[in-house]
Amino acid sequence: MDARQLKRLREAVGTPSEGAVSQSHRRAQNWFAQTAPLIQWDIVESPLGPLYIAASKRGLCSVGFGVSQKDFLSGLDPLARTKLNPPALASIAEQLQAYFAGARTAFDVPLDLSQLTPFQRSVLQAARRIPSGTVWTYGQVARAIGKPRASRAVGQALGRNPVPIVIPCHRVVASDGSLGGYSGGGGLDSKRLLLHLEGALSCHD
Amino acid sequence: MMKAPVRFETLIERHHDEIYRYLWRLLRSAGRSDGAVEAQDITQEVFLRAYRAFGRLRRDSNHRAWLYKIATHCAYTALKRDQRQTRRTVPWLDEIHHSLADEGLLPDQQALLNERLEMVRREIAALPSKQQAAVVLRHVQGLDYAAIAQALECSQESARANVYQGLRRLRRVLAEELDE
Repeated sequence: MDARQLKRLREAVGTPSEGAVSQSHRRAQNWFAQTAPLIQWDIVESPLGPLYIAASKRGLCSVGFGVSQKDFLSGLDPLARTKLNPPALASIAEQLQAYFAGARTAFDVPLDLSQLTPFQRSVLQAARRIPSGTVWTYGQVARAIGKPRASRAVGQALGRNPVPIVIPCHRVVASDGSLGGYSGGGGLDSKRLLLHLEGALSCHD
Repeated sequence: MMKAPVRFETLIERHHDEIYRYLWRLLRSAGRSDGAVEAQDITQEVFLRAYRAFGRLRRDSNHRAWLYKIATHCAYTALKRDQRQTRRTVPWLDEIHHSLADEGLLPDQQALLNERLEMVRREIAALPSKQQAAVVLRHVQGLDYAAIAQALECSQESARANVYQGLRRLRRVLAEELDE
């Protein structure tokens, strides 16, 4: 079939007017805006680089750093609608800035951990109780949730922490004295920096 | 490295327009005169269904082909809904005049061209629905055979065969010259 025949085929099949296309597009967007849950997000400057924070209507659902903005957004609930809206995140943004300035050691914001399993939630709730300036081992966290043999599973659950820093999974280290792992952006360098900031590591660690 | 998940809102931005055009073309090829409104309703239905099923979709799926599959389903369902309605000749639509108006044709050449296109349209309307969809997907929407196979829920060989057979039936009317 030559180009001329294909052109005639396309002309016969026809094309809707641009007005009709954009009217339908707007209708789809309006429907989506009414249907999809809203996730609002913002960026906070930090010693770790740009820190992305996002909240659903339930509470803070994601903290990301060491990633691009695009990757951060594509990691959020894929069915949700996302919107850059700093005022909606003003409280947590201020608390994070105070934390990096050394003026705050814990966070007081509602969290949305609804995407996690009950086990992951219990691990993260335990990690939340570790005071700033101290570290626990994976085994200690396992014992704190009443599952002393679950150190490895604890490590995996901490690795899925959607709100690092706010839930301080960086305060959990290996029992041999090494730092263990860190799933936050920037890997172990970030973990080391956060622990230094909190005074849990001396300078030569 | 795992592929980053696609956001549903991105799917609307990327694919709404082509899905709408596809539905409009299918309805029109099936003899619906007022394609614009109906295509809009079906497009909304396609994205609603897609939204409900999105959570179960594999991350590495071809999202575009998947949307075409839902669209084809929805269009056929709508067409079957009032099957008893008699097929009518599709009235001429303004868009086609506009697309050709800039070619500097004389009025009688334009009239001849319109007549030729009307013949092509009748042949397209007479094709079995699967050939019709396959030809539109391949040569108007620009999908490859893997995507067409997914959209029409058949093998790639069958997708190719449907495009080929559809085109073979259209070849005669498409080949007729205007200035014979």
